[in-house]
Amino acid sequence: MADIFHARIKASIADANLQSALDANAIKRIKVRQVAFESLENPQALRTRAHQVRSDVIEELDRYIDEFASHAIANGIRVHRAMDANEAIKIVLEIASQHDAKLIAKSKTMVSEEIGLNHALENHGLQVIETDLGEYIVQLRGEPPSHIITPAVHLRRQDVGKLFEEKLGLPYTEDISVMTNAARRTLRQVFLEADIGVSGVNFGVADTGTLCIVTNEGNGRMVTTLPRTHIALMGVERIVPSMNDLSLMLSLLPRSATGQKLTVYTTLTNSPRRLDDPDGSQERHVILVDNGRKAVLGTELREILYCIRCGACLNACPVFREIGGYAYVSKEGEGSSYSGPMGSVISPALFGHSEYGHLARASSLCGACKEACPVDIDLPKLLLRIRAGFGVDQARNKPKSNAPRLLKMGLGFFTMAASTPTLFAIAQKLAGIFGSIYTLFSKGDPWIRLPAFSGWGYSKDFPRPASKSFRSRHIHQINKGDSQEGIASLGNATSDSLSNPETLSPTRVDILKMFSEEVEAIGAKYYSCSPDHVLETILDLLREHGNQEILAWDDHYLPDGLLEGLRNAGIQIVYPRSDTILTSSRIKAGLTGASAAVAETGSILLLEGPGQPLTASLLPEMHIALVWKKDVYKSLSQVLEMEAVKIAPAAVLITGPSRTADIEMTLTIGVHGPGELHIICME
Amino acid sequence: MVKTVQLFVTCILDTIYPETGEAVVRVLQRAGMTVSFPPDQTCCGQPAFNAGLRPQARKMAIQTIRAFEPYPGPVVVPSGSCAAMIRHSYAELFFDDPDWKTRALALAARTYEFSEFLVDVLGITDLQAHWEGKITYHSSCHLLRDLGVDRQPRALLAQVRGAEFVELPQTTDCCGFGGVFSVEHPEISSEMLKRKIINIEQSDASVVVSCDAGCVTNINGGLHRLKKSPQAMHIADILDKV
Repeated sequence: MADIFHARIKASIADANLQSALDANAIKRIKVRQVAFESLENPQALRTRAHQVRSDVIEELDRYIDEFASHAIANGIRVHRAMDANEAIKIVLEIASQHDAKLIAKSKTMVSEEIGLNHALENHGLQVIETDLGEYIVQLRGEPPSHIITPAVHLRRQDVGKLFEEKLGLPYTEDISVMTNAARRTLRQVFLEADIGVSGVNFGVADTGTLCIVTNEGNGRMVTTLPRTHIALMGVERIVPSMNDLSLMLSLLPRSATGQKLTVYTTLTNSPRRLDDPDGSQERHVILVDNGRKAVLGTELREILYCIRCGACLNACPVFREIGGYAYVSKEGEGSSYSGPMGSVISPALFGHSEYGHLARASSLCGACKEACPVDIDLPKLLLRIRAGFGVDQARNKPKSNAPRLLKMGLGFFTMAASTPTLFAIAQKLAGIFGSIYTLFSKGDPWIRLPAFSGWGYSKDFPRPASKSFRSRHIHQINKGDSQEGIASLGNATSDSLSNPETLSPTRVDILKMFSEEVEAIGAKYYSCSPDHVLETILDLLREHGNQEILAWDDHYLPDGLLEGLRNAGIQIVYPRSDTILTSSRIKAGLTGASAAVAETGSILLLEGPGQPLTASLLPEMHIALVWKKDVYKSLSQVLEMEAVKIAPAAVLITGPSRTADIEMTLTIGVHGPGELHIICME
Repeated sequence: MVKTVQLFVTCILDTIYPETGEAVVRVLQRAGMTVSFPPDQTCCGQPAFNAGLRPQARKMAIQTIRAFEPYPGPVVVPSGSCAAMIRHSYAELFFDDPDWKTRALALAARTYEFSEFLVDVLGITDLQAHWEGKITYHSSCHLLRDLGVDRQPRALLAQVRGAEFVELPQTTDCCGFGGVFSVEHPEISSEMLKRKIINIEQSDASVVVSCDAGCVTNINGGLHRLKKSPQAMHIADILDKV
């Protein structure tokens, strides 16, 4: 029984490096999540709503998949359906061979880990490079990710320093920003040369066919924009009905995952690049991967399909904190892509109870996972159902518990006694006699030192049973079962009536103030000026960095005469296009015009279209975005529900400068996207 | 007004800590209650339920339901996890058995954890208890997260004369008990308990109070093995002292 699992547990506990990394992760992640949720007005109500939304989708999954697929197809996205890992891999290989692809740039996708995509592609001679910093690190080490959100959570900076020295020729350093820069340089080349970009999907929006991907570093934007062909892998259950539901999920996912109000880049992809669009992938595919999910629909475990992969349950779990992601292995020692509480349900549900069912037993059922879950999945209940044998296999057999044999036997005897009060009393008496004799020998010490193999005796002593049980002492003293007296209605506990304080709708001034504060809080710079002073502000920024060139949007989207003014000041204006991307990639500044802004998260919305190349906001080191004050909205849902968001081939919400915390959770700015974001708000 | 309560003493208090069971009775009596002890009670079935042995758990749950059915009035349970078992998990246990589910829900509706009963139902926080020393409080998982009970035991402890209350760092972290978990995964359980013990020592309290004898046994078992001096106590044992 799961001997390899036990060996992994012991190895994890004995690994001091791993222990300190896991401790740091738990302490930091739990705290930032709590702080992020404090900024929500009524997080409980949001969780309840999110649970309902996910439940509605899962109850009618087929209908939602069809709705999503038909809208995506209408938008020009090629939709594929894969029943299992092999089918999904085959589809990717076919697309790759159609385009004679050699290099594939990948942003983080757990589905690809689940189906073993990298390995399969490499076997067919393709070069696959992970571009999320954490994934890149573990790929260089030849390891799978150890956490669904922070793949390199098990490593310290020294490990990464040594790795980069060995693999990238970077002189050994413990300076995380130096390591991040080295990765930026190497991976920038990969983005530019890749034939295909592969990404995951955080949410598919059914009524628009939109693919939503959230990333912090900007690699998700790179792989969905620069390569000619983009393939998105999506678990079939990752659907939300509408943009409104998406904004609800987005208010919960980043907060739960990394403690951010919104991730730096929230991309919304509707279609491939259209004829007159300056950039973006020309061909987009989405592969809807089932791989066992629909089989779970008909089982008692279906609630696990609500999961939105935020990783909060891993961070909250005291067991994960002790053993880390790599310890969650099958009976044969095969790792699962999903670890922690959600993984201990998903792995057996998707890949079989006989292989992974034992993982569900490694939980004290403390409920910290349920408490942390943004969609309120009752994880302890699901773990218990797996222990009891409910799941896909159950359709064929009666549910059968996976309790170890000895435990089953022991509890069998206990059940026999506890189902018959007289037997129970006799057993207690026997235990009591044992207790009395034991006390004689232990010189009054009421504690028994059990051997380690008993489990309990491993690290603690066991109290001896009392020589006389409660019932045998008191059966005559306290009133024996008093059944005559009826009970009047119980005094009701004071129910906390939750009255919502009336929220006054904030004024424009408040909204702008909130926007500027949020922008500064996430490390971007905020400027407020009249259109006449925009030129001056931009020139100051460019001069400060000695920049003579700038990637810029069309005149049409910027204040009158701005580009001309820049040219007159000696700045060279470059309009980025797909076919000149190599030149564009060298330019250090970019200028764009935001269609809208979200005050509560400090985000700006950019839409792809003629005259509006999104690469201007992605490739340079410095991004200057202009936004009109009238376009600043209070909430995310107001902006996501704008018609333009649904029509544009691609849209991105940018919330601060590109960042990562993949090495020791140390915040590092400017990974793949711009490290500087200047937002100029115009009257 | 409530006059008589049915005590579900729990198998662990019954067999190992009968003195704590007596303390529960005395505290309830001091709160003006007549305490009745339905004689056919044994175990709520939680160990088997947590082990995944549902048929066995159902047998014990049925025994428990039958034991209390003839006796009306609130059922008081001096254990967060046993109370949670009856209140929440019985519905899960009998989800495909409407008859027993109805009977289980009827019992669930009148079942209260001990501190919850004192504070929420009786409206009592001051039991005239007296205890000299520094005490802290460990939030047991099922009590806190399944029953939402936290302010009640704290309110009771706040009224104990002579006691200096200090907060336990990371009080909501599991102590590593988890029933069968501690036997099946002693390595992990032991690490969790180590962490709890470090926090207890950091609090500098001489007594850590809990509303669950499972946590008390786990924490004390670890402390005894390490020959450390602080002690875990059931809340009834503190409230009992005058």
